[in-house]
Amino acid sequence: MNKNHIVQNLRKEIENYSAALHVEKVGKVMEVFDGIAKVSGLSDIKSSEMVTFSSGATGVALNLEEDAVGVIILGDFSKIKEGDEVKATGKILEIPVSDSVLGRVVNAIGLPIDGKGAIKAGKTYPIEKVAPGVVTRQSVDQPVSTGIKAIDAIIPVGRGQRELIIGDRQTGKTALAIDTILNQKGQNMICVYVSIGQKDSKLRKLGALLEEGGAMDYTVIVSAGASEAAAMSYIAPYSGVSIAEYFMDQGKDVLIIYDDLSKHAVAYREISLLLCRPPGREAYPGDVFYLHSRLLERACRRNAKYGGGSITAFPIIETQAGDISAYIPTNVISITDGQIFLETDLFYKGIRPAVNVGSSVSRVGSSAQIKAMKKVAGTLKLDLAQFRELEAFSQFGSDLDDSTKRQLERGKRSVEILKQLQYAPVKTEHQVVTFYALTKGYMDDVAIDKIKEFEAGLLEYTEQNAKFFYKDVRETKMWTEQGEEQLKQAIVDFKASFRK
Amino acid sequence: MATRTVNDIAKAIHEMTKGKVGVELDAVSKNVVNFLARKRLLRKQKDILLRLEKITNEEEGIIEAGLTSASLLPEKEKKELATFLKKRYGREKVIFKEKIDERLIGGFKVEVNDEVVDVSIKNKIGKLQEYLTRAV
Repeated sequence: MNKNHIVQNLRKEIENYSAALHVEKVGKVMEVFDGIAKVSGLSDIKSSEMVTFSSGATGVALNLEEDAVGVIILGDFSKIKEGDEVKATGKILEIPVSDSVLGRVVNAIGLPIDGKGAIKAGKTYPIEKVAPGVVTRQSVDQPVSTGIKAIDAIIPVGRGQRELIIGDRQTGKTALAIDTILNQKGQNMICVYVSIGQKDSKLRKLGALLEEGGAMDYTVIVSAGASEAAAMSYIAPYSGVSIAEYFMDQGKDVLIIYDDLSKHAVAYREISLLLCRPPGREAYPGDVFYLHSRLLERACRRNAKYGGGSITAFPIIETQAGDISAYIPTNVISITDGQIFLETDLFYKGIRPAVNVGSSVSRVGSSAQIKAMKKVAGTLKLDLAQFRELEAFSQFGSDLDDSTKRQLERGKRSVEILKQLQYAPVKTEHQVVTFYALTKGYMDDVAIDKIKEFEAGLLEYTEQNAKFFYKDVRETKMWTEQGEEQLKQAIVDFKASFRK
Repeated sequence: MATRTVNDIAKAIHEMTKGKVGVELDAVSKNVVNFLARKRLLRKQKDILLRLEKITNEEEGIIEAGLTSASLLPEKEKKELATFLKKRYGREKVIFKEKIDERLIGGFKVEVNDEVVDVSIKNKIGKLQEYLTRAV
């Protein structure tokens, strides 16, 4: 590009530009502190309207008082001085959305932070939106395949569901979420991972993992890091769900993970206290329930008449020493359609993922489970519950009748089967075969320390020798008699060779 | 306890002093100052006076307009501006508070309460910069 060309372009651009004259509403900064600004003037401002500071930073008006406005500042607030001019924009805070956001890492206001250049902006979506109404919705009936055996079999999740992942620190909550994202490859799913108040090093690691697993092609990461202002953490999940809605509006299925909402609540508490809103229980403001309910209510499955598509939400909550009766955990448990409990004890017993299948539930997901899976895993939850009871009981006595012994042996093998390595999602049809072999008793005489080996071998063998079964499950979600016969034969054959 | 804002106090003072002249006004003023001193509100006197000015201006149909320009505006232009402002805000009189700011380069900027019309060259250049550097 030569000099003349640049000048020509510039001239053209300038000619196109017309400076429209209009009245602007302005205010003056009265005080700035901790990411909050008190602004005088701005008489006709709306709640959660976007404002711009003369330093270039943007803010959101949250508190509308008689003669001042409380504004949260998005971004750098160190350059804002007392007396600075603040302009109202007349718009509710919006973020740019487009298809090219896939594979990128953006911050809470939709700007790229992965150093891969600007994102071509398509549309803008407001970050606060009223959730889809009753008439536009449809009940959940399509499964989300997480690739985690314990979840897909016992706590199934459907598209459009809100399933809470809850547990102490270091119990594998994020790992569960990342595994789920990795397993969405080829499942016609867009993933949004919202990281709230996480360490940047952790995010970097996750990004690399997703990249390695080829998951970034269908994933967006929205990040409000620990070093950013609380205001960014506060709006990040709303930005994330706006991006999700952009894809849902195209009729796509979206999976969104909020990691984690405890930090989100803490950020909101910080903002609220700084804005002098009265504190309530655990010093959270009165509307902290609404904070999460309006966010999670935006997850939905829309019926075909209104364009289809769905948003499945996996909020994550971190508990302190397993205390699920704290304020935020109880709130979010009551909002969501079920929860996956992760426990430290199980984790250190070597049961990973450390899902407590007894207290985890999915309130709507069972109608989304495929028929084949329902058939093989239907009794698994009950069996495991009985096993736990018997296990505790059997520690006292040594004389057990045969049926109890059998139940104990089966239970031990079930627990073993549900263990799974990280970043190793299992395909649905493989899960069906494993649980088929387990519940029909084919594994009862395999030694417990050989179970994993047996499972791996079995899957490999049956995939070659029970093709009908696999084909049935893949295509019709249920097996035929012919396929079942073939599978039974294959299992028997494999067992014979495994013994040797 | 309900909070007493500066606005409330200014309103109350305005109500009390309305229509009073001479000795009566003096007495009322003295009471007001005593009250403010007793309630430790004298440190807010600047804000209260500003509010009071606004209230009386409103009552008397006066608007105050901040007028910042790069160079002194000719009387004719100011008159035109005054008629425009009177019509827009439905008031009878306009008081200009003029300021010269060479940083505006050219044109002027009018401020009424929290509304601003900025037709200065500085603003226009700023907007052009925003337009040219926008993300496409």
